[in-house]
Amino acid sequence: MSDDPKISNPQPDAEPTATRSTVPMWIFSLTLVLIYLGAVYFDHHGGWFDAKVYGPYASADQLDSYQPKSGAAAAIARGKKLYEMNCGICHGVDGLGKPNIAPPLAGSEWVKAKGVQRLTHIPLTGVSGSIMVENQPWNLSMAAMGAALPDADLAAVLTYIRASWGNGMGEVTADDVKAVRAAIGAHPQPMIGDQMMKMPE
Amino acid sequence: MKNGFSVFIAAFIALGASWCGFVLAPLLQLGTAKQTAVLVSGDTYPIQRTGDATLGLQVYRANDCAACHTEQIQQSGVAFDVVLTGLGKNPMAVRSAIQETCELIYKDNPKDKNLYDMLVEHLSPEQPFSPATILNSVTKTIADSASDKITAAGGKVETHLIPTGADISRGWGVRRSVAADFLYDSPVQLGSQRIGPDLADVGARLGNANWQLLHLYAPQSVVKNSAMPPFRFLFEIKKIDDAPSPEALNLPKEFAPPAGCEVVPKPEAKQLVAYLLSLRADAPLYEAPFTPAQVSTNAPAK
Amino acid sequence: MNEISQQKIDASCRVPLLALFGGATLWLVVGLALSVVASLTFHKPDMFACCPFLTYGHAQPAANDAILYGFCIPAALGVMLWIFARLSETELVLPLVPIVAANIWHLGVFIGIVAILIGDSTGFVWLEFPRGSSVLLFAAFLLIAISAVATFGQRKERELYPSHWFLLAALLWFPWIYSTANLLLASGHPVRGVTQAVIGWWFADNLIFVWLALVGLGTAFYLLPKLAGRPLHSRFYALFAFWTLMIFGTWCGIPQGAPVPAWLPALTSVASSLLIVPLIAIAIIFCKTVCGANVTCKGGPFCYIKFGTVAFLLSGLMLISSACPHFSRIAEFTWFEQAQTQLQILGFFAIVICGAIYELLPRVMGFGLPFPKFVRWQHWLFMLGIILLVVSLAVGGIKQGLAALVPKNSSNDILEASLPFLRASTLGLLFLLLGSLLFAANIFVMTFKWKLALIKSVIAYIKSPLETAEVKP
Repeated sequence: MSDDPKISNPQPDAEPTATRSTVPMWIFSLTLVLIYLGAVYFDHHGGWFDAKVYGPYASADQLDSYQPKSGAAAAIARGKKLYEMNCGICHGVDGLGKPNIAPPLAGSEWVKAKGVQRLTHIPLTGVSGSIMVENQPWNLSMAAMGAALPDADLAAVLTYIRASWGNGMGEVTADDVKAVRAAIGAHPQPMIGDQMMKMPE
Repeated sequence: MKNGFSVFIAAFIALGASWCGFVLAPLLQLGTAKQTAVLVSGDTYPIQRTGDATLGLQVYRANDCAACHTEQIQQSGVAFDVVLTGLGKNPMAVRSAIQETCELIYKDNPKDKNLYDMLVEHLSPEQPFSPATILNSVTKTIADSASDKITAAGGKVETHLIPTGADISRGWGVRRSVAADFLYDSPVQLGSQRIGPDLADVGARLGNANWQLLHLYAPQSVVKNSAMPPFRFLFEIKKIDDAPSPEALNLPKEFAPPAGCEVVPKPEAKQLVAYLLSLRADAPLYEAPFTPAQVSTNAPAK
Repeated sequence: MNEISQQKIDASCRVPLLALFGGATLWLVVGLALSVVASLTFHKPDMFACCPFLTYGHAQPAANDAILYGFCIPAALGVMLWIFARLSETELVLPLVPIVAANIWHLGVFIGIVAILIGDSTGFVWLEFPRGSSVLLFAAFLLIAISAVATFGQRKERELYPSHWFLLAALLWFPWIYSTANLLLASGHPVRGVTQAVIGWWFADNLIFVWLALVGLGTAFYLLPKLAGRPLHSRFYALFAFWTLMIFGTWCGIPQGAPVPAWLPALTSVASSLLIVPLIAIAIIFCKTVCGANVTCKGGPFCYIKFGTVAFLLSGLMLISSACPHFSRIAEFTWFEQAQTQLQILGFFAIVICGAIYELLPRVMGFGLPFPKFVRWQHWLFMLGIILLVVSLAVGGIKQGLAALVPKNSSNDILEASLPFLRASTLGLLFLLLGSLLFAANIFVMTFKWKLALIKSVIAYIKSPLETAEVKP
């Protein structure tokens, strides 16, 4: 009925078949060898699925060991932030203290002492009673403002205080804070002023 | 395989395995991520964009800027600098420790001998002390051993961690991009082609809104031979009213509109620029540590 | 096998396949034209500055999606339906379903392409179509899959042929990855942060590498033995290739320098290195089936499918190399990755499918191609175009990457290192566009002739005198 050009000789074409030759062993061995090598590679470079390990770091331990623990500068910057949040309200952002509220920290002999034990006690236990700061008597009480801070953070704050406003003293480490905390024990009482004056630095 | 069902099972297992590995596991691990803490300062990161910058991300998406620009910095390694910050009580011992350390290293790299000589001069007793870099771009083992030696001699030393890589050396960023950088982005526009420069840290590098607007309107006016097409449709050319608009672009002669007209950015252009200026990746994080520039204190030099 | 029966099988596929191939051909031409437009912006940046919808950021994704979703997938589904019908030795079951589905699919693609050009893309690579469009595509795919599986279920020969495995797996693959990607990314509540990128990469790898490989290889394993006149070598090799391609290929998506934890790119590296195993198996199958066959192809479908299969092996090798960390340091973010994608989509899949369509269409329509010479010309144009496009993008990409490793090169310097190669790639795209026009000529004229014949026969039927029964007195 229609007059389209048909294919001149429409032969049925056979559907393809597949031979049943076997797969040689060497390709399986190659696969296994590559799987083994891949596992070794993943062990070295995969960080063992840790969410914090990014290349070029190879493992969580390596990343931890590479964290900058370098000395005072890092702690000071962090300490500055924490100081301003926790201590600056009473002691002043400039460290000059506020009359009838808190004694100054700039130039204070408590801060500039050679040892850090006594200074570290103060935020961990609090103070009450009368003390002398820069030849001025202060008879106030301070809560244990640093007791809730982790060791490293409190160490940073104290390092900042000791380094700033012309104090120019060395750092307080997290280990120092830990030692003092351990010595104080579980239920610290605020130190009385006289007690504090007699304490070793 | 025998029948359709076994083919279905085979495909199900294969695709299911990668679905678990690349969809489910990242969802559980990264999809519930929250803000992370910045090293050193204790701030949280990232800060969510507000205002025009959020709308700008949608302008970025609508124009598919990610077809030519990436937003991911890469890092190929880490290097350490060792900086002397204090001589302590026994300057002689410290100087000899430094000499010992440097000689070992510069012995292998004779070209660093000039640096060493300059260092010796810098640390001579006649000069007042100021912090100096002892070792530049060394490995961790060398940096640690130098640091230990000098600290044992009584000196004060800092090791600075510096990420290395072509992107970082070129100034496109200071550290590699990590998941935390994209926490609040939707859609995440990582990009996959660097036909133009990387934009992860462009807010820190090219943070001038006027420059960005000029670059959008006529890229060739601020970057010679730029291959970026001009996005003039983000701007309006209108007649100058009584006074020129404060937002009008200050174009060079070849790109300026006809006399009596000025080019004013449309809201989309301003939003896009706000978004570009908000792109920063310069906070040190636990997963991408580096030593940022030093914070100054009021301490006098020791 | 009954000769008439085979003609009936082919005839039953006629309308569904024409519905799929007609639109597909149109999208191939449109997609390649948009690719040329996108490529031209590198010759003169402000060439299309007047029209926002023709900037690189609009034209390139539109071109990619038009070729992949507009041409590759519907053409694949059409060829799949025919192969299932032939292997099952039954007529196509539910023939009306693919006709409706084809129209839904092409409507979805149309909406999607327009949305990208006017700036309404979702922002996710390979998922730029808006939500409505994605729903249409998903529904259309499922409808066609129903018809395909029903045809498969009616098969007379119960033992499966290797192509069955590949094509059936493909029918599961696409709905799973497409629905996952769309629900998690382009829906109202996308996942948070960089997880979007990870899922996007998983989807792109599974669609462009694995899905196209499954369908392309399924088609090649059906047509190569048929055209070479030899059996496929061998069933078990094909089974091995099937398993290893699926298991390893699906993990190959994450780029090496990505801002994700290290375990993701590490897994991709491992899987990519294992990808060499299915590539070797496929190469062996190809060589043993085809080499030594006493058939000259003369630029016909056999040539297309041979070229396409070799292109697949090369594209797989390029994928493996870009997952190697040392090489990816050079090749990432360069034209090299684009070269691999174009080789996979155009060099492998488009060519295999075009060859398959040229092979099946005369049988399905019942008459020969209107322009048989075009087949050979198109073969040469496509081959030249692909070689020019892929080689220039790959070399340009490597030059770009090497320039990027030198810190003092600005981004302009880096781009200028690759510009001459980019401009050469435009020429490759022009050849491809020309070839696609020849393809379109064949398809459209064939469709037109068939429609004309249909109309003529309907008119003749109306005009013929009604037979009346003799009234017996």
